[in-house]
Amino acid sequence: MKKDPSKLLQTIFDPGVTFLEKAQSVYNYQIHNNPVYKVFAQHFIPSGEIPQTASEFPLLPIRAFKETDLMVNEHDPEITFKSSGTGNMERSRHHIVDLDLYRRSIRLGFASYFNSTDYTLLCYAPGYSDNPDSSLLWMMKYLVGLDVKGLSRFLPLNKPLINADVEKASAYGRKIILFGAAFGLLDLIEMESVSLPNDAHIIETGGMKTHRREMSKGELRTRLAAGFNLPEDQIHSEYGMCELMSQLYAVGSEWFETPNWVSATVRDATNPQRICDPGEEGKVAIIDLANLYSCPFILTDDRGVMNNMGQIAVLGRWHSAALRGCNFLIDQD
Amino acid sequence: MEKKLQTRIDKLQVAIDEWLSPDNADLKEAIEKSVNEGLFSFEDIKYQIRSLKKSLIKCEFERWVELSGANEGKLPDNKEKVLCLHAGNLPLVGVQDILAVVLSGNHYAGKLSKKDPYLPVTLLKKLKKHEVLNGTWSVDLDELAIHVDKVDKLMFSGSTDSVDPVIDRLESLGLANVTTPRLMRTAHYSIALIEDDSPDTFHQLAEAVLRYGGSGCRSVAMIIAPFGLKSKKCEFTDYVEEFWLRNPQHKKPSPSLYHRYAYNKSVGIEQSWLDDFLIEETDLQPADPFILHWVKGDVDKFNELALNYRNGLQALYVTNPDIETADVLPAPEMLSDAQQPPIWWKPDGVDPLEWLSKRA
Repeated sequence: MKKDPSKLLQTIFDPGVTFLEKAQSVYNYQIHNNPVYKVFAQHFIPSGEIPQTASEFPLLPIRAFKETDLMVNEHDPEITFKSSGTGNMERSRHHIVDLDLYRRSIRLGFASYFNSTDYTLLCYAPGYSDNPDSSLLWMMKYLVGLDVKGLSRFLPLNKPLINADVEKASAYGRKIILFGAAFGLLDLIEMESVSLPNDAHIIETGGMKTHRREMSKGELRTRLAAGFNLPEDQIHSEYGMCELMSQLYAVGSEWFETPNWVSATVRDATNPQRICDPGEEGKVAIIDLANLYSCPFILTDDRGVMNNMGQIAVLGRWHSAALRGCNFLIDQD
Repeated sequence: MEKKLQTRIDKLQVAIDEWLSPDNADLKEAIEKSVNEGLFSFEDIKYQIRSLKKSLIKCEFERWVELSGANEGKLPDNKEKVLCLHAGNLPLVGVQDILAVVLSGNHYAGKLSKKDPYLPVTLLKKLKKHEVLNGTWSVDLDELAIHVDKVDKLMFSGSTDSVDPVIDRLESLGLANVTTPRLMRTAHYSIALIEDDSPDTFHQLAEAVLRYGGSGCRSVAMIIAPFGLKSKKCEFTDYVEEFWLRNPQHKKPSPSLYHRYAYNKSVGIEQSWLDDFLIEETDLQPADPFILHWVKGDVDKFNELALNYRNGLQALYVTNPDIETADVLPAPEMLSDAQQPPIWWKPDGVDPLEWLSKRA
């Protein structure tokens, strides 16, 4: 029985080891140490066997983070992140056993695209500020804390970005990254914030459902580019959630890439073991090996689509209700 | 009642009687084709036709007209063109919309579902033969668009997500646009309250849950009972099996149902796996097909859940007619009527005849 994860911790982020090899080791660890995942997975993979392809790993529905405490045996959490929720909505709980693992995942993921010594990070996440258990806020604080010059910071809520903010952030030849919740960034534009320098970048995150109305990712990107006077290829997206230790980035487009310890695919909602063809909509499936101590094999409730290069675009929430009742789907009828 | 309308009802009744006559070879052939092509089971079609025989009678048409207010002589002579996009999840699910157009005296344009292409045609032909229906139909929207200009009203059922693509498609064909008045039905499940475990109740419950594979919006997707699933699952399974012996389930669930079962097992949710159906003890909002949500509770819980889940809720069923529900909820119906509603029932709370009788 494999209980010591120390070797796994060394290999999870190792680009020299194939994703399948790493995933098989993590699966083995989970089967022996995560009682919830063990019961689930054994309905698909016979006891003692290991999935032989990335598509074979059984994917636990993400609602498990709401309905049970997903954690491997004999560990205590250092911190618990909770998803935002309104009213009586049940919130996801992600018990983080190893914050160093989380820090490493955040740092390596971000550094794949942005060198922290070159950038000043300005964070704006108004919708999350009233959730002290937000993983997004924790991540932003960590990234802000990595700035040795101390220029990175959170922007004050409900105030426009002014020239002084931009000038200060641009000191030492730094470029600005404005990192924020999508609807918060739109608010900044509405508050008549100043334009950003032409070498600045924006990373938007969060759902496309703003507090005013829903908009497509494409429309959001266009509005952010126009509002801050930047070309669209400097508008990026981050895909992360309380249930994941790792983040995906879509750099200059709507298509998310994965770091070497994460796999993102789109699955047929009626048969989650089938990977959808490029262009076919389905549920986003994530295998995040940094979720070693909770559950790395997850079927989200997000609606997505893959392209021919294996990148994914996130289109919104998946609505199962469309599968019941007298539906008239004009193209699929 | 207005004489013109009474004449229309009389002619309609003749057409319906002819349509539902055992000698109707056209209908027989449509049933055979539907069964042979695997569209529906013979048992489900037979059940639907029996239900229609009970509800499509003159006094019920008259009652419908009375209830809808269409009998007040207010119908102008200039007729409107109504486009019906029929669903095909149950056999003949669009009959009410067709008859609403007939009784309102409007022009009918029907896009028939490819999942139910034969059965409605037999009715439409009879209605046309007896000159109570003016209009045209097709399973192909492009073909329909050749014969139909822009319509005045639009009726269809679907998820809210499907509205934009449907309207876009209709607009591209010149049939309708965003300003065309539309009657859109989005409800997709029903909730029942039972108060005992008598054979009658469990028989009715099995019918209300399992008929048509549970795919109708009037199908029960959530049950509130005074007992938990664990104590009654063996007993209720007997009634399920008995139902399936008489009515083999035609539509089979996708592999995702087994994933749901595995998930429930892993997190300890009480459930009953029936191969082609799953019963689970949860008070989450029903969303997925082939799953019955079982909740231990009383009339207060029934009201609470119905209020919480009003979005998507079609009907509320009870076994005790004295049960009262909150004013904002649909009036409760008897569980025994779940799969055989009167012709004047109101999908999503809107009487289609009343809606059609108002000028656009």
